This record gives sequence, C-alpha cells and structure tokens, in this order.
Amino acid sequence: MISRRALEISTAALTGIFGVVVVVSSIDNGIGWSSAGVDAGTFPFLTGVIIVLGSLYNMGQGALGRGALAIVRVAITASELRRLAGLFVPAAIFVAVIPIVGMYLGSTGYVFAVLALPKRQSVLRALVIAVVTPLALYVVFERMFQVSLPHGALATAFGF
Amino acid sequence: MENLQSLLHGFTIAVTVPHLTLMVIGVLLGILVGVLPGLGAPNGVSLLLPLTFGMQPVSAIILLSSMYWGALFGGSVTSILFNIPGEPSSVATTFDGYPMARDGRPTTALATAFGSAAFGALVGVILITFLASWVAQVALAFGPPEYFAVYFLAFASFVGMGGAAPIKTVVALAIGFAIAAIGIDTVSGSVRLTMGIDELVKGVSFVVAVMGLFGIGELLIAVEEEFHARAVSSRVDWKEVFRALGRLPHHGIALLRSAAIGCWMGITPGGPTAASFMSYGIAKRFSRNGARFGSGEAEGIIAPETADHAAGTSALLPMLSLGIPGSATAAVMMGGLMIWGLNPGPMLFVDQKDFVWGLIASMYVGNIVAVVLVLLTVPVFAALMRIPFAVIAPLIVIICVVGAYSVSNSYLDVVLMLGFGVVGYLFKKLHYPLAPLVLAIVIGDKAEDAFRQAMLMSKGSLGIFFANRLVTTLVLAGMALLLLPLVLQIVRLLRKPDEAAHEKVRII
Repeated sequence: MISRRALEISTAALTGIFGVVVVVSSIDNGIGWSSAGVDAGTFPFLTGVIIVLGSLYNMGQGALGRGALAIVRVAITASELRRLAGLFVPAAIFVAVIPIVGMYLGSTGYVFAVLALPKRQSVLRALVIAVVTPLALYVVFERMFQVSLPHGALATAFGF
Repeated sequence: MENLQSLLHGFTIAVTVPHLTLMVIGVLLGILVGVLPGLGAPNGVSLLLPLTFGMQPVSAIILLSSMYWGALFGGSVTSILFNIPGEPSSVATTFDGYPMARDGRPTTALATAFGSAAFGALVGVILITFLASWVAQVALAFGPPEYFAVYFLAFASFVGMGGAAPIKTVVALAIGFAIAAIGIDTVSGSVRLTMGIDELVKGVSFVVAVMGLFGIGELLIAVEEEFHARAVSSRVDWKEVFRALGRLPHHGIALLRSAAIGCWMGITPGGPTAASFMSYGIAKRFSRNGARFGSGEAEGIIAPETADHAAGTSALLPMLSLGIPGSATAAVMMGGLMIWGLNPGPMLFVDQKDFVWGLIASMYVGNIVAVVLVLLTVPVFAALMRIPFAVIAPLIVIICVVGAYSVSNSYLDVVLMLGFGVVGYLFKKLHYPLAPLVLAIVIGDKAEDAFRQAMLMSKGSLGIFFANRLVTTLVLAGMALLLLPLVLQIVRLLRKPDEAAHEKVRII
C-alpha cells in the first residue's frame, strides 16, 4: 500500500531532480546575453529553475497533505499494486531482452507469457496470437515499408 | 472568376478513371500508415516516391497527396480507440475521443471525427482555391517575431484552461520545454542537455514521449482501475455512423470557428498541431458544454479535428506558391516535384497551370474519396474495441515499443518511452496535466528559436513584438487569452470560495 503523501512527495522529488540536472547542464552551455544573442543555455536554465521551485512547492503541499486531492489518503492499494506490476514488469522484461533476442522473438515470448501464464486465455489461443503478432509486424514493417526492426544479438550470432 | 474556370479545367483532369483509382490506392495506403504507429505520411510518401518517377507529374502528385489525406484520417483512429496519437496533430483528439470510445461509443467518436475532419479539409481547399495569391502574401509577412507571437497565442489559448493545480501545470509545462531543448540547438549549434549520452543529440522525439505518456500511462491507469471496455453492440451499426454525421450541423459554430482557426494557423506557419490544440482550448472556453470537455463531449472531438485538417490542407499552399514546405511530408513531396522537373514557387502557377489546378481539384475529390473510404472502415476499427483487455494490453505495449523504435531506429527511444509511461501514470494519478507538457514538447523549441531570432534582430529589445500591427495584435490577443481565465478564476474565488473548492474538473 502506498499513501498519497508518499507518492506526491516522490513525484515532486523526481521532477525536482530533473530540474536540477537541467540547471546544472545548461550552465555549461552559457546563460545570459552574448554577442551571438541569447545564449543556448538560457532557456533551459530558466525552465530548470522553474521546475525546481515548482517541485519544492508541490513537495511541501504534498507533505502537508494539502491540495485538491487531500481527502484521498491511500493512492494505491495492495491489489492495485499487484495488477500494475502484472502489466509493467513483463513489459519491462520484454524491453530489456530486445537487444538480445530481437523484436520478433521477444514479442512472441512476451505475448505468450502474458496471455497463457495467468490462464486468462486458452494455451492454444495464446499461441496463435503469439505467432501471428511478429508475423504481422514482419510483413508490415520489414516487407511493406522497409523499416528494419531489431533482430537481436542472438540472430546476429546465428548469421541473420 | 478566372480561378473558378481553372478549377473546372482541373476537375476534368482529376476526375478520370485512372486518377480516381490512384486516389483510392493512395488513400488506402495512407490510412494504413496513419493507423500504424511509428509510420506516418512521410514514410509512406517517401516509399511511394520511386514508383512515381515514370508517371505524369499530375498523376504522381495525386497519388502522393491522396496518401497524405488517408494518413491524416488514419492518425485519428488510434488516438480515439487506444489513446495513442499517431502524429502530433491528433493529440488533442484523444482528450475527448478516447473517453467517448471507452464509454462504449467508438462508432460515434470515429464518425464525428471523420465528418468534422472532412469539413475542415473542405474549408481549407476552398480557401486555397479562391485566395491563393493573398495567402501567399500573408505567409511572406511572417518573420521570427510573428512566428513567436503565433506560438504564444497557441500556448495562451490552451494553458490555464484546465482545472489542475496551477503550480503543477507550471511544472509540467517547464518539463516539456526542457525536453524540447534536448539535443542540438538550432540557433547556436551547440549540444544541450544530453548528459553525455551521444544518442540524445538527435533530441527526444515527440512520438516517443506521447507513446509513453498516453499509451503506456493510460494502460497502467486502466489495469489499476480494473477497466473493462463496456460491451459494444456486436453488430455493425451503420445507422450510428449516419446519426453522428447528422448531428454535426448542430455544432455549426464550433465547426466554422475551428475551420477558421485551422486555416489561419495553416497559412501562418503555426501548423496543424498548434491549430488543433488552440482550437480545443478555445472551444472549451466558449462552448456551453465547456465543463464537460474531457469526458467524451462531441464538440471536444469536432474542434481539434476540424482545425487539424483545415490547417493540414491549407499548409500545402505555401509549398506550392512559395516553395516553403510546411511539414516533413510536404518536404518529401517537394523533392518529388523537383524530380518530376517542376520548380515549386510563384512561377508554378504561371508555367504549370494543368498541374496546379489538377492538384487543387484532386484535393476536393481526394478528400471525398478519403472520407467515404474511411467511414466504410469505421465498423472494422470499432470492432477492435471488442477484443478483451487482457489481449489488447500486450498488443498495445508492442505497438508502443515498435512505434518508439521505428522513429529513428534507436533502442534508447524504447527505454525512454517506457520511462515516459511511468511519468504519464504518476502525473495522471496525481493530477498533473499532460496536455501542456505535450504541447511544450512539440512546439517548445520552435517557439524558443523564434524568440531568440527575434531578439537577434532587435538586439535584445522586446519592442520588436510591438513593432507592427500584425505582431502587436497577435501578442495582445495571446495575453488577453492568458489573463482572462485567471481574472475570472480570482473573481469566482472571491465571490464563492466554497463552490469553487468543490468544483470537479477532469484534468487533461
């Protein structure tokens, strides 16, 4: 279970860190006015400062439990968290293995795993969808529009 | 009247069996690339280009422009059905299109979108027909300060209308600007905000951000809420298509206003994206049902779609008459023009009358062909909504992954897309508005460039934004749009503090 306060604070921290990174790296580009006009770093610097200040404000509001959503104490319950993980974790694994097994094998495995393992669909149906998906991708992208999708290190090793 | 005669002559060129066949082929291919993520009109047009080398220039441009129409229509399909905008200009369509489809009315949403899009395109073509020379002059009057003023106007009409916490809106907007700044700075040529990652030099594509923010983010919200698409009636309901089209005239004012905004933004180089956002923002502010925007209101679909297509169509004019391509697709088409031995520019209207008027006539016919074909496909697309969520969710993930990758064949984009998905979920959950974020990513760097170029011209004086009547009007209109809701809000808060606090507005 994640409380709204924690979520609010961590999101504000996330945006704040992004703001700090923007400020720091835009100082390298130079800020202010020079002979070449407005320097390249000026706009990112200003946006970075705004992000940091805004994040601090949001963080304070979140910590004090103020704002429009103050009545909602619990942001994500345990069962909601499980369902979220059920979607996100397989997707993240799929993205992580793409450089190794490539888009086609990766998507086959991903679709099959997501459909067959929780027993939401029959194994046969899951298998059909898992095979048809990469085939459709191949025909449309690689054949019709000549956009090459990653084949993966494995395919390269076997000489494809 | 000379124009009208030329147009009639153009129709005799465009309405022939071979050309109509080419239009059908072009539109169908266009719908396909429009629906597919990561592929867009530029891809389709570049792939077809080699096939056109043996054709007459008129036939070739008819094929390519039909593909463009098809892609414009197709791009709205995924926005409405899955909340994944295929191109920047259809982002604003997701705001009301997706809620309506999710509510069990996908047919209505699609038919409304296509109907109003066709109306917008028609107004755009009519404008081109009658005002070709005048329009070219307006576009020429645009320098950096005017560009900036137009972008400012688009921002002003959109930002501040939502019900989100103001500071959260500001943070979202600033993050969008920062993301837009990543990569090579076009004014100075220096590399910004890449944090030492070479792959970021090309910048963060809008498609990557949107696939994550809207596609994956919405998916996460949906599983959390245990969302099940409401059962859509299983038979194909043709009557609903016509009922939705029949209701369009009730929104006549919205249609006309949006078309006007679209044409204006198309001629001035604001472009279709700024046009659709601006039209949505203004419609929300002035519509009687403004408060219901964001929950599947028909006018919320009509406004952005009409403006998008009106702008997309009228943007072809600067390409023909001035030789300035308004978009990536127009740039590819212009390349084609040169290969076929034609020189885009003012002389085209004098030297190649058959070509120009054949093309303009084909815009009328091509758009009619496109809207008929695309309406025929509505039941097919609407049927997609009946696929169980458990099956459609992994497919949407794959679509987003492939889409993000194929933008520039970069694996980093895929990872970024997933990251944007998490951000999209968190922002949506905590009521940070996503629309200003996306708008800033799309036109943020253009606005910044225009501002800095204007500053170079004026040597740092802001007076350049009030130097002539055109730019002054634009800037003042922008400020008025920006301040008006703020003033109203303050007045309302002072009067009835309780009511304002309990007001519930959907955050987009």
